[in-house]
Amino acid sequence: MSEDTLEAVQVAEPAPFATAGRYQGRFRLVPVVLLATGVAAVIGSWRLGLGELTNPGPGLWPLVVSIAVSISAAILTVIPDIEAYEKWTRRTTLLMGGVLSLVVFILLFTAIGFVVPAFLLLLFWLRVFGEESWRLALTLAGGGTAVFYVGFAVLLGVPFPDDIAAGTITRLIGM
Amino acid sequence: MDAFNNLGLGFSVAFEPMNLLFVFVGVIIGTAIGVLPGLGPTATIALLLPITYTMDATSAVIMLAGIYYGSMYGGTITSVLLRIPGEAASVVTTFDGYQMTKQGRAGPALGISAIGSFIGGTVAIIGLTFLAPLLAQVAVAVGPASYVAIMVLGLFLVTSLGTGSTMKSLCMAAIGLLLSTVGQDPITGTARFTFGIPSLLGGFDFVAIAMGLFGVGQLLHSLERTEKAQAITTKIKNIWPSRKDFRDSSGAIARGSLLGFVIGVLPGGGGVISSLASYALEKRRAKDPSRFGKGAIEGVAGPETANNASSTSAFIPLLILGIPSNVVLAMLYGALLLQGITPGPSLIEDRPDIFWGVIASMYIGNVMLVILNIPLIGIFIQMLRVRTGILATFALMVVMVGVYSINNNPFDMWVVLIFGVFGWIMIKTGFDPGPLVLAFILGPILERSFRQSMLISDGSFGIFVTDPISATIFGALAVSLTYSFISRRRRVKAAQTLSRVSVDAK
Repeated sequence: MSEDTLEAVQVAEPAPFATAGRYQGRFRLVPVVLLATGVAAVIGSWRLGLGELTNPGPGLWPLVVSIAVSISAAILTVIPDIEAYEKWTRRTTLLMGGVLSLVVFILLFTAIGFVVPAFLLLLFWLRVFGEESWRLALTLAGGGTAVFYVGFAVLLGVPFPDDIAAGTITRLIGM
Repeated sequence: MDAFNNLGLGFSVAFEPMNLLFVFVGVIIGTAIGVLPGLGPTATIALLLPITYTMDATSAVIMLAGIYYGSMYGGTITSVLLRIPGEAASVVTTFDGYQMTKQGRAGPALGISAIGSFIGGTVAIIGLTFLAPLLAQVAVAVGPASYVAIMVLGLFLVTSLGTGSTMKSLCMAAIGLLLSTVGQDPITGTARFTFGIPSLLGGFDFVAIAMGLFGVGQLLHSLERTEKAQAITTKIKNIWPSRKDFRDSSGAIARGSLLGFVIGVLPGGGGVISSLASYALEKRRAKDPSRFGKGAIEGVAGPETANNASSTSAFIPLLILGIPSNVVLAMLYGALLLQGITPGPSLIEDRPDIFWGVIASMYIGNVMLVILNIPLIGIFIQMLRVRTGILATFALMVVMVGVYSINNNPFDMWVVLIFGVFGWIMIKTGFDPGPLVLAFILGPILERSFRQSMLISDGSFGIFVTDPISATIFGALAVSLTYSFISRRRRVKAAQTLSRVSVDAK
């Protein structure tokens, strides 16, 4: 609730494309997905077994809830609310890259530990989304990785996956 | 007096050095995030949930509560200086606060906000201290049917009083309830909607959902906007308001305290609604309403007082009924659950240290905040220089590492990422993630109360009519729904007739 009021205030001017008829379809996309989810959940709840009102089965409550999802999504599909939609900008497309970088981060993190992927992720985000200079981005990414590693792995004792970078360093020091 | 014994216990807990430190940390973080763009109290508490998991329960709640009411102070600063509300409840403050800044009166605007916030907060804590034990005695007798009604009312108010489309919010609340059914059925143990994934048997992790929707979603969205940090050129002087300022705003502060307190206790209350209500009240009472929007100090003092009073009194339904009335409190509720504590009527008996410790810490926190916000305000203004890109990048790393550290399981990182993308899409398409998270928290309690009611009543829905509390609530809901439906029909009809008339006239 809280943050969104803020959005609503800042994005008060209605998007100009909202009135164009041929774009109406896109406003129905999310409600249709929600409606499909609701209907699937109704079927799923039915299959779980409803039991009786005196002795409800596992599916009764989910059924009530998924009917509520279906009804509200159906209303939104018929009468789409187009006011609060934000425009799709070039930067939105850029952010898809940001999401992708997080996917790569999680995969790398599981495979080779925290240090290298964290440094790369911080560097990428600072440089691309923060638009910081190379020097500042490198410094912050390096420092940030160190602070996170010391804070979480050393001080809080979070067991990260085996780390190639930190492992090599400790082995070199240990030798 | 019993209240004084209780408070004595509370203060003995709150004055423990560690707890004092955590109140301080909480209110500092709260003020800071109120100032910083892009991070609200909800996102911040979401980011910090995994860290509180390792802390002592009392300290954790003391700190998170400090963040919550601290952000109410901090959000004022940017509203007044830049016309950017740091958090939603401060939207109203931009109306007259920014005008005061333009007239060179930024100092008194900030000063009266801090003083009003302090008074409102303190009045509400005193109310909480004396009312809470009485209400807790009543609350023990509240049956499951009443619980169902109170929660339905809370969800309904959050969805209809929030901004944006009511239907969208209702849909999100329903999705939240649906998500909360994933996992094992609480009574029969049957796996529901787990799709054979063992990690889902325990249900979705609240922290992962909250961090995804509020943390990652909000961060992605804030990065999308390219606005640069704004430099503050205003010199802030005379922060202590003049005698005339005090005279002008004393009534607004007094009314704001009471109004805020009452609104905060209601399910769905707190924050924005109370500040809007106070602004409307002051404007209506004013001899010259046209001054409002042009730098009337009452228009700053009243709403700022009310939002602090309501954010404090909103702890009453949370701690006594175990029902969070807004999204930030839902996060606090989640934090308590993580600690193995279920807030409810018995909390005050079972864990008086937590209950009274948190309340006592609020007295201390409010004193700290007034000190932070009057003499030290310059330091917080400097924080406006932090660039969104840097802040978001590091916050994102906190999310990723934090969520992993809860169960040391990369699965939670995927959940966060997926919900983060959902959250981002929701913001872009005008769906409010707030009702979803609130409903997700309320879901299990709602289901349990519903099933209990059905067991008690032998499967008859009559229990919702015979139970006095639930009958009153559902009755009132039905009346207000019918009323709003009829008045909307009437408006539509009137508009149609009007257009027909104008067409005929041509």
